[in-house]
Amino acid sequence: MFIGFYHVPFNKRISMTNIENQIFSSYQRNPDLFDEIYDKNGKIKEVYQKLFNLYGEHSINDYVSLNNKAKSSFFNQGITFQVYGENNVQEKIFPFDLFPRIIDQEEWDIIERGSIQRSKALNLFLWDIYHDKKILKDKVVPIDLITSSANYLDQMNGVNPPGGIYNHISGTDVIKHKDGKYYVLEDNIRCPSGVSYVICNRTALKKALFGVFNHYQTHTVTNYAENLLELLESVKPKGVDVPTVVVITPGMYNSAFYEHSYLAKTMGVELVEGRDLFVENDFVYMKTIKGPEKVDVIYRRVDDQFIDPLEFNPDSVLGVPGLFAAYKKGNVTLANAPGTGVADDKAVYTYMPQIIKYYLNEEPILNNVHTYHCGRPDELKYVLEHIHELVIKPVDEAGGYGISIGNILTKAEIEKVKAEIKESPRKYVAQPIMSLSVHPTYIDDTESFEQRHVDLRTFTVLGKDKEFVLKGGLTRVALKRGNLIVNSSQGGGSKDTWVLKK
Amino acid sequence: MKTMPRDFEVTYKAENIYDDWVHDAHWQFLIIPFENESQHEVQIEFSNSLYANTEFSINGFGFKTLRVHPKKKFKQISFEAKFKFKKEEIDPYDFNINSDLSVEYNELEHFDFKITHERFLKQTIYTKLNSIQDLLYKFDTTVSIFQNLENLNHWIYKFIQFKTGVTKVGTLLKDLLLNKQGVCQDFAHLFCALARTNGIPTRYVSGYLNQNSGYMGDSQMHAWVECYIPGIGWKGFDPTNNILANTNHIKVCHGKDYNDCSPLKGIIHTGGQNKTTHTVMVQSQQ
Amino acid sequence: MLARVANNLFWMGRYIERSEHVARYLNVNYFSSLDAPNLKSQDRQFVLRSMLFMVGDPEEDADKFLKEEDVLYKIGLDPTYGASIINNIKFARENANSARDLISTELYEAINKFYHFVINYNKDVFVKNGLHDFTTHVAEMTDILRGKIRGTLLHDATYAVISMGINIERATQITRMINAKFNDALLSQGEENDRFSKSFEWTTLLKCAESYDMMRRYYKKTPTSISTLEFLILNPNCPRSVMNSLNQVNQHVRMLNPEKRYNKDSTAFLIGRVRSEYEFKYIEEIDKDIKSFIENILKSLVDISDKVDEEFFNY
Repeated sequence: MFIGFYHVPFNKRISMTNIENQIFSSYQRNPDLFDEIYDKNGKIKEVYQKLFNLYGEHSINDYVSLNNKAKSSFFNQGITFQVYGENNVQEKIFPFDLFPRIIDQEEWDIIERGSIQRSKALNLFLWDIYHDKKILKDKVVPIDLITSSANYLDQMNGVNPPGGIYNHISGTDVIKHKDGKYYVLEDNIRCPSGVSYVICNRTALKKALFGVFNHYQTHTVTNYAENLLELLESVKPKGVDVPTVVVITPGMYNSAFYEHSYLAKTMGVELVEGRDLFVENDFVYMKTIKGPEKVDVIYRRVDDQFIDPLEFNPDSVLGVPGLFAAYKKGNVTLANAPGTGVADDKAVYTYMPQIIKYYLNEEPILNNVHTYHCGRPDELKYVLEHIHELVIKPVDEAGGYGISIGNILTKAEIEKVKAEIKESPRKYVAQPIMSLSVHPTYIDDTESFEQRHVDLRTFTVLGKDKEFVLKGGLTRVALKRGNLIVNSSQGGGSKDTWVLKK
Repeated sequence: MKTMPRDFEVTYKAENIYDDWVHDAHWQFLIIPFENESQHEVQIEFSNSLYANTEFSINGFGFKTLRVHPKKKFKQISFEAKFKFKKEEIDPYDFNINSDLSVEYNELEHFDFKITHERFLKQTIYTKLNSIQDLLYKFDTTVSIFQNLENLNHWIYKFIQFKTGVTKVGTLLKDLLLNKQGVCQDFAHLFCALARTNGIPTRYVSGYLNQNSGYMGDSQMHAWVECYIPGIGWKGFDPTNNILANTNHIKVCHGKDYNDCSPLKGIIHTGGQNKTTHTVMVQSQQ
Repeated sequence: MLARVANNLFWMGRYIERSEHVARYLNVNYFSSLDAPNLKSQDRQFVLRSMLFMVGDPEEDADKFLKEEDVLYKIGLDPTYGASIINNIKFARENANSARDLISTELYEAINKFYHFVINYNKDVFVKNGLHDFTTHVAEMTDILRGKIRGTLLHDATYAVISMGINIERATQITRMINAKFNDALLSQGEENDRFSKSFEWTTLLKCAESYDMMRRYYKKTPTSISTLEFLILNPNCPRSVMNSLNQVNQHVRMLNPEKRYNKDSTAFLIGRVRSEYEFKYIEEIDKDIKSFIENILKSLVDISDKVDEEFFNY
């Protein structure tokens, strides 16, 4: 039985040197990697000490049984994604393990301030490039970042979104390099997803191992929905008293549908599809059992190109004809605003230090990874010559698609990547291969804990007079040994992430 | 002395016939004459055979649209729009060119100028040329920008033969350049492409052409271009007719290319085939 | 509530209810036939035909030999057959998925478990010796679902819409069973001691509707055609009767549209009309022409469902 685990009072502390820590007895630590729980001398870091002891008192079998229970609870709740095989569709849960990641207050403070700083700077950047374009005129950012970006919407020129906010919701992907410093890998400001998993992971861990929470003062993650709703209500159109907020989803076959339904449910608002809405005289209504009801704020999880077939992609069946005209007229708010995708571009990312400095006159709190633009001849040359030590990323893809990591490519693959880059250099950027920190992660196949690379996606909510970063975030784990790509679409798992109060 | 404005009347008709019932349809018309200094007092009459409600709106680029969304199913629908307005007589040559040509050419190179006019300097899918085709028409900087554009207008008029049925909406320049035959959209797209590669902000214009004037065009919407010349402003060129845009050119809207100006957009959910016909009639009185 | 989502919830209720009735019909007919008092009712071919008749897919060829495994598979687990139990449950879950933000986590989880149970049920086991286990499980799980619907949802519009679906479907399925058993009773009559009115099929029918015990308690006699039909159609206190279902639907419609104003285009009006038609009916009137009566009632139920659709889902 595992009952004891729940009730072991922590004052019954057992000296580390005396116990055989079963769970970690076979943990192999590669000293070249930055391990989140061990320092470089192989000693457990202080914040992890209690957790290490608590978990360590129990056998791997206990742990496996709890982990399986947590997984089946995910499965039964339908927190799954679909894998399309040749003959059938399989449902799978996102891999998860019960050993949490801990971030102490001091480190978190940097991440939080850094995330807010970036969100604010990006918002000012978006306002500028859709209005006076000062940053271009001052030659801080090259004009072709905008002219050749498919995500720059001419229709947004001169539009003032309510409250001046474009990127209401941002997801910032940060990693810790082997120098122990945090670096930002990407800013996601189109429709960043994953926040529902943060909350599900926490719920699962609380159910399985509630005892461990007695020993740590951990910030809650369940306040995301209320903060999001408060923000959405605050950017209501002019003249609306109590706004009706909805979440729009591409539908139940979308891979993030669970998250869309989760957010609608926890905010207590309707989850709509394009076909549930219509526009009349530039106002938006939803079709309810009691007839039409006006909609004021739309948290949209549908990409720009699909929101209005009359204005953008005419083949879209996900959108609402006339929605953009209603938006432009100021009768409905869209969050995030249309056209934010241009700043999501990985080529814009490379200018983030300059962008932050330009608008906020501050030094970046979080580091950027040095990036080479294949669109610049001299940098292209460097990239082509050093592919084996670089990560090549397409500028406008999300979800880890199209990424090539130089040191694991075969000769033939390198040639193929080179050819692709030469074909359209503007489409690619390259970065040095960052060594993401590793964290002990339970691996099903070997039934033991092993080092795996992790990153962290933070969720920032930005309003006119408000900013909120969810104190937790999604720690994503690259489950394949040695793999650096953590995206769930590429076989990544996740962990509960604890931010400590002190 | 200022002449009296002319009264114009444009009648636009469209008819759509479907094999199967249509249960859900949205149309958006971008056909209302644009109000500016030379076109004003626009009056609009618009009706459809289903008596469905007409909504007035403004599209993403700020032009007025008409929208129709019938509430019952149908197999056939026709639309009729009548626009009455006044139009000033235009002398397209009424402007002065700075005698120091370097002033206007220097302005083109100015960074702020490029940023301000970024939208009408970039390539789009319909105005895309490859690096060799870019050289098809090079400006002669010893003459004025206006003169170059007029020459380009003439060059395209000679280079492309007006012929319907060869190209269609969505034909790319690379295909046009193979056949060298096309209609007003193709002339306008080629003009946009070559003027932009020479650094001139150029916009595609959609509108009506007074057919009684004897110009080329068909009984549908016409297309021409407007170029921004430093010191002068936007000037209209109609390469299909080798003329400058004048009183007979009734502007509806402008954009980067046809995509921004499509006169009729329909979101229709139906199976089977459909047939669409449009006619435009322009009448004017002195 | 969104009209589309309401429609999905309505059908979720219908599919949940439908899967239960089909499952129980298979179970009761199969197992009662094993020791039925007459040869006809014992005949496996007769039973299999009755099952196909009930799901609306009667075998027209009187001479065709039906393979038991084929029929059971088709109605139970065949993913290519639209009316199979597996598809009913798939559809129920699909409908629940799209309304996930409105229903409770507990209800969704129960539907999801139900789905995984059915999807993963071994087909060979089912057709050889799993019929009892499978169908009882399905029936029990639908009970759990109804419990979750009643106990974990706020009794507001969401609840009313689901309950409406459940009750319209219950009335429909009970009528379909009556129809199938009426047909069986006609076919099996003529053998010794087995006149139509005293057919063994009426007992089977009551068991299919889980109403045998209630009925015995109420009439204290062996069921006959008249007493069975009276009980299953007209008795408002029998929770499975058509009358009771209509009363429930009436209640739920009024939750959605509390308007009392006279409106002969409303669902409430139509239900009231149908209810009053049966409320003051003598069973003897029905007994004269059971066939037309069954057809009539099925038509009324379709009309009500269409009316609900028109009034609430098709704004």
